Amino acid sequence: METYYTLLKSNWDTLLNSILNEYDIYAPFHFGESIEYSIVTESNVKNIIYNRPKPSTPLKTFFLPVKENVVNPSKSDKKRIVMGAPSCDLSALSILDEIYLDKDYIDPNYSGHRKNTLLIGFDCHSTLEHCHCTTYGFKPYPEENTDIVISYIEDKIVLNVKTEAGETFRKNWINSYERITEKELTKLNDIQTDVEKELNGKNADLPDYQQTGKLITASEEDIWQRYSDTCVSCGACSAICPTCSCFLFIERPQFEKVRSIDTCQYPGFERVAAGEDPLRPLSKRFRNRYMCKYVWKPEKFESKACTGCGRCIEACIGDINKNDLFRELNKKETVET
Amino acid sequence: MTTATVDLYKPVKATLTKVIDESPSIKTFVLEPEVEFSFKTGQFIQLSLEGIGEAPFTPSSSPLVKDRIEVTIMKAGFVTEKIHNLKEGAVLGIRGPYGRGYPLEKLYGKEVLVLGGGCGFAPIRSLLYNLEAEKDKIKKLTFCYGSKTPKDCIYKGYIDHLRSVDKFEVYRSVDQADDEWNETEGVVTCLLDEISINVEESAAVVVGPPIMMKFGVQKLLDIGYPEHKIFLSMEKNMSCAVGKCGHCMMGKYFVCKDGPVFSYDEIKDQPDIWK
Repeated sequence: METYYTLLKSNWDTLLNSILNEYDIYAPFHFGESIEYSIVTESNVKNIIYNRPKPSTPLKTFFLPVKENVVNPSKSDKKRIVMGAPSCDLSALSILDEIYLDKDYIDPNYSGHRKNTLLIGFDCHSTLEHCHCTTYGFKPYPEENTDIVISYIEDKIVLNVKTEAGETFRKNWINSYERITEKELTKLNDIQTDVEKELNGKNADLPDYQQTGKLITASEEDIWQRYSDTCVSCGACSAICPTCSCFLFIERPQFEKVRSIDTCQYPGFERVAAGEDPLRPLSKRFRNRYMCKYVWKPEKFESKACTGCGRCIEACIGDINKNDLFRELNKKETVET
Repeated sequence: MTTATVDLYKPVKATLTKVIDESPSIKTFVLEPEVEFSFKTGQFIQLSLEGIGEAPFTPSSSPLVKDRIEVTIMKAGFVTEKIHNLKEGAVLGIRGPYGRGYPLEKLYGKEVLVLGGGCGFAPIRSLLYNLEAEKDKIKKLTFCYGSKTPKDCIYKGYIDHLRSVDKFEVYRSVDQADDEWNETEGVVTCLLDEISINVEESAAVVVGPPIMMKFGVQKLLDIGYPEHKIFLSMEKNMSCAVGKCGHCMMGKYFVCKDGPVFSYDEIKDQPDIWK
């Protein structure tokens, strides 16, 4: 399903205002230098940031909150709309779905949040320094895991309705719309093509997803030691990663459990009672996250475990740039072969 | 396998009805769950102390017994120490069973070799109960068990029983013998020199501390066991137990869901299998 509609931005804002009682709506807003999701209210609807990469917090936190009681979850029946997720974050839901909606053990909380949420993704009309979705086969405009995609072009909101849920939403709430004109569609395609070209151009020397896995597997220990030298095990790379999904349980009275995000970058992540801790050495821990993303998860799951959002590079207080590491591995291999 | 429920992570309550001292650091806890709780041998459960912690254990009791479950636990960390302090009447939580247990169908018709060390006897006992009940389906069973010292040998009464079971042979070793020890002295793998087994007709199960499993597997390979006929129960930090939290990842495997029992050929290329 793929149907384009347009409506005036002023009408779209009015529409959003009119459904605030029906839905909790989250959208990207400026917070100082960064963009972050926040709840939409009548007073801020005009300030929503469209088509700019990208909220600092990945989309996953709507489905895997930082902390959540999984035995006795707090319930809200109000439906939710999350607007503004970029393609990288939406594509990242694929592997989260494989893990959390695994048919043997469907996670009730995750499943509930997914079902209760209408997703309205945004095309990226610009790029950030470390964006590299196209290197891993993703587009800078959402192609999957979204009900509707929005591009804000001139004074119009262009809606690309992609699912039945999206179409139901349109039918229920959007009265004054027009079909997209050929000129508007051309304009949209031009923007998409330009952004894609820009990304391909600036990441031309970055190995693709599969090649990255091969390079990591074949790599020597010294490069991981060198790149992890400034790692302080803060876990920011995992916390802001749209595909990292590990957690720990915190026990509560009444046999309740609170799920809290966790990462293999913290010491002791794999430690067992007798004391064995395979990931004790920092460089090994550091490498583990990339082995997981580019080697092990691809062997086990259909979906990719890195969508090229670049947040781990932006967030690293040790200035570690995994793409520099992969470029170096790639260059070394090219020289050697 | 368990299907999705809204109680995926909520334990059922189980009352501790008996505590049995097995060695200075190992106790067996007999639990009566409030609902019938069945498992397959080699599957594990999550045992929780309300508000304190949860840890994975493979039951040591017979999978054929449905009204109680026994868990043999070595005092090794925070949760196990708290469990060791429990008295009869305490209420614990159990979740499960989880994972893939011992492949009984691959042991049927075989001369089964079971190599165990230390507290690895706990999950093995469950397997032995199961195989004893089905002993007409196997050719014979050879059990080699090693501990550090004679006082670390667990299930002494059960060992005596096993020695009386038709088709069952038991060999024991200790790393350091005392004056009263009249069985083998040495690491458990030296027992493999004593046994008589037709490797061609055999399948092996190895459970114990990682270092023991490493050398045990090496020796089994040396004496001709093919990799796919050596089965190992892996100890990792299983937390959610349903293939999500990531703590038990061993390369591409979630040990909780894909294991904990693997054939050696499945895991030999994965990282840190002996750590």
